[in-house]
Amino acid sequence: MDLFANLAHGFVVAFSPINLLMCLIGALVGTLVGVLPGIGTIATVAMLLPITFGLPPVGALIMLAGIYYGAQYGGSTTSILVNIPGEATSVVTALDGHQMAKQGRAGPALAIAAIGSFFAGCVATVLIAVLGAPLTKLALAFGPAEYFSLMVLGLIFAVVLAKGSVLKAVAMIVFGLLLSMVGSDIETGASRMAFNIPELADGLGFATVAMGVFGFAEIIRNLDHGAEMDRNLVQQKITGLMPTRKDLADSTPAILRGTVLGSILGILPGGGAVIASFAAYTLEKKLAKDPKRFGRGAIEGVAAPESANNAAAQTSFIPLLTLGIPPNAVMALMVGAMTIHGIVPGPQVMQKQPDLVWGMIASMWIGNLMLIIINLPLVGIWVRLLRVPYRLMFPSIVVFCAIGIYSVNNAPVDVVLAGAFGLIGYWLIKHDFEPAPLLLGMVLGPLMEENLRRALLISRGDWSVFVSRPLSAVLLAIAAGLLVLAVLPTLRAKRDEVFVESEG
Amino acid sequence: MSDTPSEAPVKSILPEWVRGPQDFVGGLAMVAVALFALWASSDLQGMHGFSFGAGTAPRMFAVLLLLLGAAVALMGVLKDGPAIAAYSWRGPLFVSAAIVFFAVSIRPFGLVVSAFAAFLIAALGSHETKWVEAIIVGACLTIGCALLFPYVLGLPMPMFPRFLIQ
Repeated sequence: MDLFANLAHGFVVAFSPINLLMCLIGALVGTLVGVLPGIGTIATVAMLLPITFGLPPVGALIMLAGIYYGAQYGGSTTSILVNIPGEATSVVTALDGHQMAKQGRAGPALAIAAIGSFFAGCVATVLIAVLGAPLTKLALAFGPAEYFSLMVLGLIFAVVLAKGSVLKAVAMIVFGLLLSMVGSDIETGASRMAFNIPELADGLGFATVAMGVFGFAEIIRNLDHGAEMDRNLVQQKITGLMPTRKDLADSTPAILRGTVLGSILGILPGGGAVIASFAAYTLEKKLAKDPKRFGRGAIEGVAAPESANNAAAQTSFIPLLTLGIPPNAVMALMVGAMTIHGIVPGPQVMQKQPDLVWGMIASMWIGNLMLIIINLPLVGIWVRLLRVPYRLMFPSIVVFCAIGIYSVNNAPVDVVLAGAFGLIGYWLIKHDFEPAPLLLGMVLGPLMEENLRRALLISRGDWSVFVSRPLSAVLLAIAAGLLVLAVLPTLRAKRDEVFVESEG
Repeated sequence: MSDTPSEAPVKSILPEWVRGPQDFVGGLAMVAVALFALWASSDLQGMHGFSFGAGTAPRMFAVLLLLLGAAVALMGVLKDGPAIAAYSWRGPLFVSAAIVFFAVSIRPFGLVVSAFAAFLIAALGSHETKWVEAIIVGACLTIGCALLFPYVLGLPMPMFPRFLIQ
């Protein structure tokens, strides 16, 4: 079977010194952002995009991937110890994790979170390797009509699984699609909505918009609450990392369920780590014999969401690597990173760039191992980092982002544009519009347009091609069904319920 | 499309029948963006025969956004919703000022000057800033970036003010 040969090849690539170093840097930076509240994964990946210019593509992507799953680890640490979720994905971990810490069981909570994450990471790595090849084959059978329908389905998934109003999320996607239209038309070369600004001729930079909407807007929003966020640092001594036998027995099924659920939600477009951790926690609570234990230090409440978010963070690479379609905003940025290095994401990547794909997959396993080593013994150091006050952090992030954007094209206009998108993002947040679907729409826009045009050209202008081709019809039917379900009141209530935990 | 509508004073102007001001204004802003896009893409070629012109897709998305924005605004009329959140001016103002200053000064003054100054301007965005501390951290960050970007990462950028080098 090719699988083992491929994986072996991947490990050879991933074990080269430079790639090991990149993996370590990614994992460290990821943990760092995970620990620090007020700076998210999306902003960090956007911030580091320009830095990856000078790196070889494999190393660059290994590092960026490391940041994403590393952040899932880091987020759990602060959730448990100080009740501050560094990342949205760790919000639910704080519910029971911090209770455990208060009861003097921070050690086992951290250990279980790490073990769960590591296990989930291993499973997800294997899953990517196993599913990669067959999905790629499937993707090669796709014509433009199928691709278009698949992207519609992906966007609808993103809407259904997102928090808040469905209507507003769809509006954000379309706003993103519209933004992606700025620049030159691929086929005719006509300049579209660029207003003769030379910097806009190539379109709005993806990193520029992402940095504005996620980096700058986030900072401005945080400043609303005052720079000094309430951080009651309870620097407890962490005694006894080892979980008891009972802890292990309780958490094993939770880890397994969390891993399965997370893996599935990660593959689905629009899913990703946040929804996975929420869903896993809800599932555990439903299945538990005594649901009252949750919120009072139930170890399953740590094990399941931590496994789920890590599994989802990794399996979300599957649609990206096999179909070339990013399922969430971080993956959308990975598309940006690949494009910067001249790699067109899609089914052909698996065949043309085996080093990249398998190296990245293998590096995920190595990265997970590194994370377990980084996180458990160094817990004290990470927690001390929380003492860095936000009043010093935010100007640093602003300057770092500004330099980063400037370095992409050496264009001052890009920096100003990012600032403008920062204000737009701030406004959007204030009006309860989620910026993540906007980013997804922006990445998928050109792809959708291209496939739509091609499909219609092949069918000689006949729009029914989308429903007459069976695969495309099925995809569209699922999308329509999902949209209807999402608007129905019963499901809406369920969907909102999943998110209510975070308010606790 | 860098026109950010600022809706801070609108709260009092909105009529009684707007039950969800946040959605209402948000939806109208989307409509405005869509109209702007329709206007901006009006000079582009549309469908010819059954193939798309350069303007077809942008106009399609703009119309879609127009409808969605109108729907969001309509929700603001039909359903009770949150009021428009309060805006603060200090953070947005100084963070934007820092960004713009950096963009304008990087070419003539180089990384060292513009990064340090941008740091201090951004620091004005919070009233909790302690200046001694901020200057030390700003200096360290500037040195760090001045080493990281051009030397470690090999990205070419001007370091020092132009008039000093010549």
